[in-house]
Amino acid sequence: MTEVIAAPSPLGAPPPDNILLDVRNLKTYFKVLDGVVPAVDGVSFSLERGKSIGIVGESGSGKSVSALTMMRLLDIPPAEIRDGEIWFDGREILHMPMEEMRKIRGNDMAMIFQEPLTSLNPVFTVGDQIAEQVERHKKVKRKAAWDRAIESLQLVGIPSPERRVKQYPHELSGGMRQRVMIAMALSCEPKLLIADEPTTALDVTIQAQILELLKTIQDRTDSALMLITHDLGVVAEMVDNVIVMYAGQVVEQGTVDEVLVNPRAPYTMGLLESIPTVEKRGGRLSAIKGTVPNPFNMPPACRFEPRCPYAWNLCAETAPDLYPAGPHGQHARCHLHTPAGAPRLPEALADHERKLNVGHGIS
Amino acid sequence: MTKYVIRRIVQAIPVLFGVSIVVYGILLSAPGGPTARFANNPRITNEQREEFKKAWGLDQPIPVQYCRWLGVCNPDGQGLGVFIGPKGLPNFLPGVLSGGTNGVLHGDFGYSIDSGESVMGRITRAALPTFILASFALVIWITIAVLMGVVAAVKRNSWFDQVATIFAYVGFAMPTFWLGIMLIFIFSGPGLNILPAGGMTETRLSPPFGSNEYWAYFGKQPLAALADIGRHLILPVITLVVVNIAGDSRFVRASMLEALGQDYVRTAKAKGLSNRSVTFKHALRNAMLPVVTNIGLEIPFLFTGALVTESIFSWPGIGKLTIDATRGFDYPVLMGVLLITATLVVLANLFADIAYAFVDPRIKY
Repeated sequence: MTEVIAAPSPLGAPPPDNILLDVRNLKTYFKVLDGVVPAVDGVSFSLERGKSIGIVGESGSGKSVSALTMMRLLDIPPAEIRDGEIWFDGREILHMPMEEMRKIRGNDMAMIFQEPLTSLNPVFTVGDQIAEQVERHKKVKRKAAWDRAIESLQLVGIPSPERRVKQYPHELSGGMRQRVMIAMALSCEPKLLIADEPTTALDVTIQAQILELLKTIQDRTDSALMLITHDLGVVAEMVDNVIVMYAGQVVEQGTVDEVLVNPRAPYTMGLLESIPTVEKRGGRLSAIKGTVPNPFNMPPACRFEPRCPYAWNLCAETAPDLYPAGPHGQHARCHLHTPAGAPRLPEALADHERKLNVGHGIS
Repeated sequence: MTKYVIRRIVQAIPVLFGVSIVVYGILLSAPGGPTARFANNPRITNEQREEFKKAWGLDQPIPVQYCRWLGVCNPDGQGLGVFIGPKGLPNFLPGVLSGGTNGVLHGDFGYSIDSGESVMGRITRAALPTFILASFALVIWITIAVLMGVVAAVKRNSWFDQVATIFAYVGFAMPTFWLGIMLIFIFSGPGLNILPAGGMTETRLSPPFGSNEYWAYFGKQPLAALADIGRHLILPVITLVVVNIAGDSRFVRASMLEALGQDYVRTAKAKGLSNRSVTFKHALRNAMLPVVTNIGLEIPFLFTGALVTESIFSWPGIGKLTIDATRGFDYPVLMGVLLITATLVVLANLFADIAYAFVDPRIKY
């Protein structure tokens, strides 16, 4: 495992103080036997202190890899950081020595994982696992760390925390375990909380509780939240800004209202069209045709072009950038938002509107 | 927990019973027999041979012999009376009630056909040498195997891992007898000649190990005696260690690699813990769970010894006793060794299961 990634020279300038997290042109590739997978390919975004951001995308779109790169949790190799900078709390963390990074991980930046059962160590008590983190970062005695663990469990709404703290993970239910994970993440009062599909492995009723909990905590503490999910509904309720990822790239970004109400990238449009609603009952459910591109053989220009209903010859020739597409800083990676595509835009939007309302091809 | 242990011990009784039946049947069905040694001796007549068989009860059908060995049958009884002990009660009952004294149920393992000694006497005499050899070998090989496996897993694909892998494959593929003979050839052969080729003590300097004379000598010159045993231990211990490290270190490596790939290890890293804490607290503790079971199952080896290694190095232990008894069709000795071995395996399994409950909080009995 390589501990330090060679720093690009020179590093860019630090972002303004109100920006907690600034990811710039991040490229995380995986070298595997069959070739190189560009899992994250030039991702940039930033997050203000105390704000929340949602990263949406299907499996393999690079959203989890982005988060793991930020936490420096990927094994290098097979992962490889090709390019980019990550500024967190005024410091560049992607190229800092691992020893420094360990002081940030779990302390200023904490992460909640998808599988609460396997993410907790089965042979240590819940309290042990939380207290150990507090001891490490806050340099307090065992007793104080243990008290902090109880407090954290209380904060996430676990009843009788004095008893729970002495239990092992297998003695808790799935929802309780995820609460423990959240308590652990919160135990050192992080500035950024990364939640990687925190509800995917849980029952629907528990999902709602956990999301509610995350929202309350985000309101009550001043920690920023980065929520990774494939569920657009969750994003709508939980975050301020949203990033849509496809095949390792950001295809659309903006505020939740902009992106979910007026999507401007054909991929986002397709995602929203494919949500089943009562109004669309009886019609055929709209689906994005085709499948996610083979990572070893990405389309040469726009990665969504083979599946895009609005693509024309330019889309197969030139890769689109993120272009401004809305009044409040919304951006979309689509040629429709360039002068060349502007004449086609109204028709595309109308088509999207139609599919959204009546579904696709009612028979 | 107590309930569980009692239940497991009770369950062991039918297992041991079944083992003894099967082993007895196989042993006595083998061609040859204790009289085979007289086959080429024309001075021993057929009558004498039959006499010998009768004296040892070998003329009886196998079920009867087994029944007597077990202690259910009274060898002096007639007809159905064989099941009745001298005091008129069933023979298998404890001696105070039935008056029966024969058979393993009464603690009587019989006498060696070969030497005439009591089976228990021969086994206890061989047990100490085996324990000395096996405990040295076991402690060394488990220590090295665990260290090697853990380091190989943590430094996966490093040069250390590569060397350990090659060592494991070579050690695994190498027959024990070949390795033993090669070691004797190198270290005891005419070239170097720095270590003894076999035995447990230097016979020219001390009385045979285990005899009263030996202990008298040991009392007088303890350091010299220990050094002598130590010199004799080196080659057989090396043989056992090399051969057994191979498999065990692979096992530890696989277990550690699996643990290192688990989600909770990623969580531990995400908490900002040091490398040492992630590897040696979070991963190792979990990786050791299956290893503990494995070690528990290797404990009977302390008693049963190593058949091949002890034979090659003429180590006067249980392994050599077993081989010698097999060659000489010494049924009582073989049955004694095998029954004790089976008991120890059953107990070791139980011990491993109990140990598991202590190291893994998910297991409760």
